[in-house]
Amino acid sequence: MLKYAIRRMIFVLPTLWAVVTFVFFLIRIVPGGPAVAALGSYATEESIRELEKQMGLNKPILIQYGTFLKDLCQGDLGKSLITRRPISSEIARALPYTLDLAIGGMIIGILFGIPTGIITALKRNRPPDYIGRILSLVGISMPEFYLGILLMYILAIKLPLFPVLGGGDLSNLSSRLYHLFLPALTLGIIMTAFISRMVRSSMLNVLREDYVRTARAKGLHERVVIYKHALRNALIPTVTVIGIYMSILMGGSVLTEIIFSRPGLGKMMVFAVKDRDYIALQSVIIIFSAFVFLFNLITDLLYTLIDPRIEYR
Amino acid sequence: MKGGKYFLIFLVALVSVGICLFSTAFAQEKVIKMALKASDIRSLDPHYGTTTIDYACIDPMFNGLVRFKPEDINPEKIEPDLAERWERSKDGLVWTFYLRKGVKFHKGYGELTAEDVKFSLEKAANKATSGFAADYSALDKVEVIDKYTVRLTFKSTIPSVLGILTNYHGGYIVSKKAVEEKGDKFKVDPIGTGPFMLKEYVPKEKIVEARHPDYFRGKAKLDRIELWFMPDASSREMAYRKGEIDIVEGEREQVWVNKMREIPGTAIEIFGPGETLVLHFNMTKKPLDDLRVRQAIFHAINIDELMKFLGPDVTEKLVSPIPMNYLGGTDKVPKYEFNPEKAKKLLTDAGYPKGFEMSMVITEMSDYRRPMEQVQEQLRRVGINLKMDVIAHSAFHEQIRKDVNPLVLYVCARFPTADPLLTQFYYSKSIIGTPTAITNFSHYNKIDDLIEKARVETDSKKQKALWAEAQKKILEDAVALPLCITKFVFGRKVYVDLGYEMRSTLTLVTTIKETTDVRK
Amino acid sequence: MAMVSQREILIKTFKNNKTSVVGLIMAFLVVIIALIAPWISPYDPIAQDMNVQHAPPSWAHPFGADSYGRDQLSRILWGSRVSLVVGILSVLFAMAAGIPLGMIGGYKGGRIDNLVLRFIDIFMSFPIVILGLLVLAIMGPGLIKIVIAIGVALTPRIARLARGSTLSVKGKEYIEAARAVGQNDGKIMFIHVLPNISGEILVMGTLWVATAIIVEASLSFIGLGVRPPTPSWGAMIRDGLDQLTNAPWLSIFPGLAIFISVFSFNLIADGLRDISDPKLRG
Repeated sequence: MLKYAIRRMIFVLPTLWAVVTFVFFLIRIVPGGPAVAALGSYATEESIRELEKQMGLNKPILIQYGTFLKDLCQGDLGKSLITRRPISSEIARALPYTLDLAIGGMIIGILFGIPTGIITALKRNRPPDYIGRILSLVGISMPEFYLGILLMYILAIKLPLFPVLGGGDLSNLSSRLYHLFLPALTLGIIMTAFISRMVRSSMLNVLREDYVRTARAKGLHERVVIYKHALRNALIPTVTVIGIYMSILMGGSVLTEIIFSRPGLGKMMVFAVKDRDYIALQSVIIIFSAFVFLFNLITDLLYTLIDPRIEYR
Repeated sequence: MKGGKYFLIFLVALVSVGICLFSTAFAQEKVIKMALKASDIRSLDPHYGTTTIDYACIDPMFNGLVRFKPEDINPEKIEPDLAERWERSKDGLVWTFYLRKGVKFHKGYGELTAEDVKFSLEKAANKATSGFAADYSALDKVEVIDKYTVRLTFKSTIPSVLGILTNYHGGYIVSKKAVEEKGDKFKVDPIGTGPFMLKEYVPKEKIVEARHPDYFRGKAKLDRIELWFMPDASSREMAYRKGEIDIVEGEREQVWVNKMREIPGTAIEIFGPGETLVLHFNMTKKPLDDLRVRQAIFHAINIDELMKFLGPDVTEKLVSPIPMNYLGGTDKVPKYEFNPEKAKKLLTDAGYPKGFEMSMVITEMSDYRRPMEQVQEQLRRVGINLKMDVIAHSAFHEQIRKDVNPLVLYVCARFPTADPLLTQFYYSKSIIGTPTAITNFSHYNKIDDLIEKARVETDSKKQKALWAEAQKKILEDAVALPLCITKFVFGRKVYVDLGYEMRSTLTLVTTIKETTDVRK
Repeated sequence: MAMVSQREILIKTFKNNKTSVVGLIMAFLVVIIALIAPWISPYDPIAQDMNVQHAPPSWAHPFGADSYGRDQLSRILWGSRVSLVVGILSVLFAMAAGIPLGMIGGYKGGRIDNLVLRFIDIFMSFPIVILGLLVLAIMGPGLIKIVIAIGVALTPRIARLARGSTLSVKGKEYIEAARAVGQNDGKIMFIHVLPNISGEILVMGTLWVATAIIVEASLSFIGLGVRPPTPSWGAMIRDGLDQLTNAPWLSIFPGLAIFISVFSFNLIADGLRDISDPKLRG
């Protein structure tokens, strides 16, 4: 099992390298530079050019690439062109907020999505199914930033139940959760919609399968049929898509962080784009991709654990 | 269930202890939280900080040899700060400053001496270590006479020596030892003499400053200041409404003022000197090289509509590129009344009966973007179509210096005399794209002689006359269209007592001083 | 033969399935609105009128007016054009690029397939919004650029789908037959494979249009969308956010517009998928 995990991780590395290289070169196609951003609107051309020299932006591109790879392997993600501070520390500070949000959203999605999916599958074409399906359709049709704004308006402004800004103090658990609630709820609602649809559809498929009919024919109690046989098999395809959904979650976190002013990676990324801080942008995207890879890897491993039919190659 | 009862008691005890600890930790602390319209600081090194957010963070941490009175930016009322007194030679070229004794830098960096002043001014005057070096081009040398005496010698006279030594831009005095020790890190870990010192900097989130126990004017009343970066107007507003923020930078629009006034316990500060909104015409881009086209645009802009959009509370009339409340400002300049018919006729005369199209970039920052969107609409009515790309603020500043735009809307405040604005925007050496470029977007070069003469003119009446002539020419040649002045708008909880009357400040924000207090 | 049965499936879908009919009607309405927006808008969407700044909904302005006094109803009607153009064109772009890619990889197999898979993996590791952000960061804002940005982000996803469908069709008898007759690969792929995978791709296509509309709104919301003063739903929500406490209708209505458009495309996709369910898994 461990060997399989390690083999999968190694397999991922060339792709990760390709992603990193792609981002590096793509970003350097951008015309213009952020030297003025660092010096402010007051500086002269000479000061700007001096700064560019200091940051090594005028060296030939292959040398920049080589330095970049070397630094990356040592864990040095470069220095932000705006603040001139190591990006790794900024990312380290922002990462927990994004991870909290992604995991929180996923947990809510799983917690509510799976039962909803099961219920709508079991009560197919009856009122609970219709309601569930309409709600989940609504959930996947709602842009996450709009949902976030609506939730913020209702639960934080009209009824001042929750905070509107920041991520709270990470070391203080209650503050951390208090600030996490609304953003995670926003993504969680959307995830619930996705997951319940997935669970419903795979449950329906499984319930049609032969082995389910066999189990019923054997006279097994309905609940045993559902939970022991049908559900476990229905969850397998669900697990495979959790990896993809995680990717959707990470994407959704970008806008949610902006709405709720959470100081996470998504917010960092948007600001890096706007500030033309392409070193920071490059590093944040690399970390993002690394996490997407990580989640996919975890999903793969979970899948092999759950599905007894898979053999480790 | 005995076990259950004990558990409950234990839980209650734990919670009460927690509450006690929590409240004692914060019970006596006096904190002010301020939300500013920026995504991050550029630099805490005072010789590089140029944006509003930089000023807000830098000002509480540094002093200059002299300073403006806290409530007034009148350059004629400058008073002593780090220097107790000074002497000026007859020809105005040699200035001797006598420093206060016993002024301590933050965090144990020792006492302020003439060595620090010499170091600091030389740093400010050096292109490699300061963004304001151009201000000190006339400074010849700085000498240490003794531990508390500094002598400055100038190559030529400048309009205001005290002006470049105030608590603003290059005039802030830094600790020599700290700069030499920290090098590049000084930008995020500065050491000064001000009432507050840096405690924590969380990039893209906030700066926390703590009281400097050895401030020479006495300990500040506040324990701590927190300056939060919140570029989003709605987030700032929400945070203020919920009481998470005590002072909030506002949008310079009537709507915002009206909205905030309705929140109970709020005082709205609208103060000067305000920033000038001026539309610069890049005369190297056709068809703006034609005077008639430029005049047409002047006539097409409805300034009243613009000021109505922004709101009467936050705007002031501006008829010349130099505001009236700056030394040297005048209103005796050519005026172009709003007349779309005349605009269309001028365009037809110039060969554009159907108008024309221009592409430009504009920053997403609302202070620039919203007036520009109005201008875009007004020009559309006479057939001029502006295609605008909205880009990030920093990218905007970079692009306009690359001569990309035909029209540049610039919003700024400068030291309140005519010289800085004239030099930076209308002097030929400042033309963008040249090695000494500053912000002359129009490529104007016809008033160089007036600017140079006024700089060295010692008779203030003659000086003002020269400046007035320069402004007249700018408008005669339709080089730049003054739109209006927008004042600074801040909202503040009434329990915040600034400790001085906020009328106008060069730091563009409600500055926290040692006298600021919280009365809850 | 194969093509006819696909069409039959489509027609049967809509005859028997109420949800997809509703969805189709809604989407149709949205498209019609986008087409006739210039004629049904009560006002010029970019004309400013300071007298009605932030006006609440009224007979004169059913959806209110924004900070420049522009009529929101007209702007929402016009905004549909941007959303639909971007939504549909970006999916078409992704199909034009992704379908051949996926087909070639799935059909040829071996090293070419590995390359295609590798390409898909690399680009799928970016959430769509983020890849769109990256592309726009380089190209700058503008309608065509957004279409390209979202199209590029969707290409690997469509390629993966096309590849999967190609794999399942690869073993069918008519493919074997064509190969036996000596037809070259290119012809086989375009004459035999493509028509048989087009059904599934059409269904996913509608889904991706829905996604593309949301992504366009997201990018506009961040500020990387079309240039002002062109109305775009995402940008309208963003502008309205500043006035959320005093003029909430400015954010609420554009958001509803996005929701309704996306919802209708999702309904269609759901309907299509319901009918062909067992065939489409994979």
